Amino acid sequence: MNKITRSWIVNGEPREAEFAPVRRLLDVLREDLGLKGTKEGCGEGECGACTVIVNGQPVLACLMAAGQVEDQAEIVTVEGLEKTETGRILQQAYIEKGAAQCGFCIPGMIVSSYALLEQHAHPDAGLIRESHAGNICRCTGYEKIVEAIQTAAERRAGNTGS
Amino acid sequence: MSTKAKASKRIPRVGQGVARLDADEKVRGLAEYADDLQVPDAWYGYIVRSPVSHGRLRALTLDPDYDWSRIVVVTPDDIPGENIVDMMGRDMPFIAHDEIQYRGEPIALVAAPTRKQAREAAAHVRADIEELPPLLTLGEMIDRYKRDPSELHELCAQTIRKGDAERALEEAELVVEGEYRAGHQEQLYIEPQGMVAVPEKDGSVFIHGSMQCPYFINPELCVTLDLPPEKIRVKQSAVGGAFGGKEEFPTLLAGYCALLALKAKRPVKIIYDRHQDILYSTKRHPVWSRYRTGLDKDGTIRALCVEYVLDGGAYTTLSPVVMYRGILHAAMGYRCDHVWVDGYVFRTNTFPSGAFRGFGAPQAVWGLESHVDDLAKACGMTPHEFRLRNALREGDVTPTGGVLRHSVGSPAVLTQTVERSGFVEKLSRCSHGRVSDGKWYGIGMSFFAHGAGFTGDGEARFKAKVALDLEPGEDGWPVVLVRASSTEMGQGTFTILPQVAADGLCIDLNRVRNPYPDTKYVPNSGPTVASRTAMVVGSTVYGAAQKMKKQLEEYVTREFTGGQAVQLVDGQFLTADEKVAMTFEEAATHHFQHRGPLRVYDQFRLPDYLQWDQKNFVGDAYPSYSWGCNVAEVEVDPRTLEVNVLKVTGVYDIGKVLNPVLAKGQLEGGLVQALGYAVMEKIEIKDGLFDASRMQTYVIPTTLDIPEFDLDFVEFPYEFAVPGAKGVGEIPMNGLGPAIANAVEQATGVRMRELPITPETLFAAMTRGASGPLLRTGTA
Repeated sequence: MNKITRSWIVNGEPREAEFAPVRRLLDVLREDLGLKGTKEGCGEGECGACTVIVNGQPVLACLMAAGQVEDQAEIVTVEGLEKTETGRILQQAYIEKGAAQCGFCIPGMIVSSYALLEQHAHPDAGLIRESHAGNICRCTGYEKIVEAIQTAAERRAGNTGS
Repeated sequence: MSTKAKASKRIPRVGQGVARLDADEKVRGLAEYADDLQVPDAWYGYIVRSPVSHGRLRALTLDPDYDWSRIVVVTPDDIPGENIVDMMGRDMPFIAHDEIQYRGEPIALVAAPTRKQAREAAAHVRADIEELPPLLTLGEMIDRYKRDPSELHELCAQTIRKGDAERALEEAELVVEGEYRAGHQEQLYIEPQGMVAVPEKDGSVFIHGSMQCPYFINPELCVTLDLPPEKIRVKQSAVGGAFGGKEEFPTLLAGYCALLALKAKRPVKIIYDRHQDILYSTKRHPVWSRYRTGLDKDGTIRALCVEYVLDGGAYTTLSPVVMYRGILHAAMGYRCDHVWVDGYVFRTNTFPSGAFRGFGAPQAVWGLESHVDDLAKACGMTPHEFRLRNALREGDVTPTGGVLRHSVGSPAVLTQTVERSGFVEKLSRCSHGRVSDGKWYGIGMSFFAHGAGFTGDGEARFKAKVALDLEPGEDGWPVVLVRASSTEMGQGTFTILPQVAADGLCIDLNRVRNPYPDTKYVPNSGPTVASRTAMVVGSTVYGAAQKMKKQLEEYVTREFTGGQAVQLVDGQFLTADEKVAMTFEEAATHHFQHRGPLRVYDQFRLPDYLQWDQKNFVGDAYPSYSWGCNVAEVEVDPRTLEVNVLKVTGVYDIGKVLNPVLAKGQLEGGLVQALGYAVMEKIEIKDGLFDASRMQTYVIPTTLDIPEFDLDFVEFPYEFAVPGAKGVGEIPMNGLGPAIANAVEQATGVRMRELPITPETLFAAMTRGASGPLLRTGTA
């Protein structure tokens, strides 16, 4: 199949990739762009470990063909979070609350948290749980993850005065 | 050199909820798991598997029409050493060569430049197999066991005999019987199994990947590859969850990779996809247990007779030790002079069962704690009254005749959980299937122990070794490196061991690191299993840290203070009059310049009074026990029979809590796995294979399935292993299943005897009606 070339803004920086359009976005990110933070837990859209953000929306990089991501699209992966205030607040809260254990689900989990907080400044526990129901964690029982997101939301709201 | 110490009052690191030392790399996506390792020129391995469950392999042929020029194939003929996986039985080949014992058993290995090519090539290996009749399920196994156990292939067996239980049973006023079963459970770590083998120029092999036990792999590969131990180097990558699933299984994966890599003369990696991982890796042993208990009407337990039977799958692997832990917990927790336990593991023609958090104990506690509710009912007592009356206390004797000498969190965990949960008042509100509108409410409890460390005299014989290295760090400042084979798989090893080392040395935690274990550098502190790391390895690290502290103090005394003794306090060497002689960093740097880096070792020891007879299972079955109690509250929808677990209350004695944040995380995570085991996670054998192979069909709890938790610790430190931890990793898995089943009985009036409890099984039990305990009046 013919390869196509796409120019994306990945974690705030222009990146170019050339690939067969049906290749999984996950593989293009990990193998071509060297962004190994995004994980493959199931490869069929069930665990959420590969969650990344494309144009503001959380998507599963294992289900999305890279060719579906259009030119000039903005992609945020776990590696890009520390460049944003919301991302840094989330990282700090995850660390403090003990939200990461083995850490393998965390890249997808924390990207989902980021997508949530960018859309909802004051999520309640119900919304936090609902918005993360597609991110499976086998270690934590989710308690500390929910706590971390609540803490991050409060701090972020405090910072922005919203 | 003589400023007065400003703050010699020290804040210990142990007991503080310090943030995980590996949290930063994990939240930034920088931790390198097996599939993230850069391995130039690696090929991909794939396993050719038997399509039949039982048979005789007559011939293996390569499709002559397929292009094999860029493919490496390994068959048993390519194995340089013995084609055997040692573990506990020496009955499992790395690659089947004659008799095939389960569907999916490896019959050849292939490697190719890409994953796709490897998979494709595997499909062109043809096996000619004469089929034999298989035994496939726990149900068939138990039918045969009841009819005539000699029809079964016994993988191992063990008994516990205390007193004369048969006679005491005859003399008891009441006899209560019950049978309980539970199926497989999949670990479902989110990172699938992954391993890399790199053949080195000197003929050695480097194994790097996702594992719990680096030193399990080394001796096995010596046998298979016919290499001396120094030619096999094993290193742990970041591990994305394990729960026992990466205890013994990675040894096989390492073997497959190494055999392919040696033949291909290039690195070979195998990363399972989720389907392969669920279909072809170990699960929790399915269990069937039968209890016959003799009681007096006042609630005294006269005799406990237990049969505890596990489905081992096709080969022995670790089944003996899983069964040992099972029988040691199957009657544990209550005063009783006459205890007989018979443990068996039988073969079925299915994937070998293996380690999973709790290691036989959750299967045992499931039966015991369901049965104890029946016992309470039989003598007209409430669940908590009966348990409180009979619970073991300090000074009491266990089923194997061991005396609980100290650090016994019973009955404290029991009384505190009952009080905290409001059990007594809520028990009176249970529905018993009698409310016609709304939901049925029920509350149930369980009480349990978990032996910390290897079973029997395992720790006394093994004598875990650790080292501490003091060397210049990457930033130029001195660092202390914890050198142990204990792995980080999410549970917090790389944080608690540095906490303990920092306290033992009396230095700041930020000067201590725990690198990934690499057999080139670390002594054997044992496998990361059996709730042993905090207690056994932790106290050995503490011992090593104290030795290093003493050596540094002597060094400073000799080199700097003219013989005036100093003490290392809070990172500073203080003289007797509390003057600062120098800092830890200065002394360490001086040591590097003049003497080089410093390494100290220590080894785990146990008090001599611990005695264990491995043949007869008499004595101290464990160095110490953690204790726990769970109360579960459930709501059952009378129309759909869905069981909704509303709240879980738990109090645990895990000894000294090294890090309360991490320890709570262990409780919450373990309880959620136990919740899955109790009401969600179902995987059965269909045509010899597991009937689920993805997360959509093997369903585990999500954020929306979590009950309210109210959890706490009560500390009874283990004084012979400073700083006094026992174990927290496994005990959360032990008791929630029966607590939920007991709550379901209070809600519906139906006693469930099989896990998981699903609307379907509940419907079947309610329709059957025969749910009460089998109760007969004794002869006395």
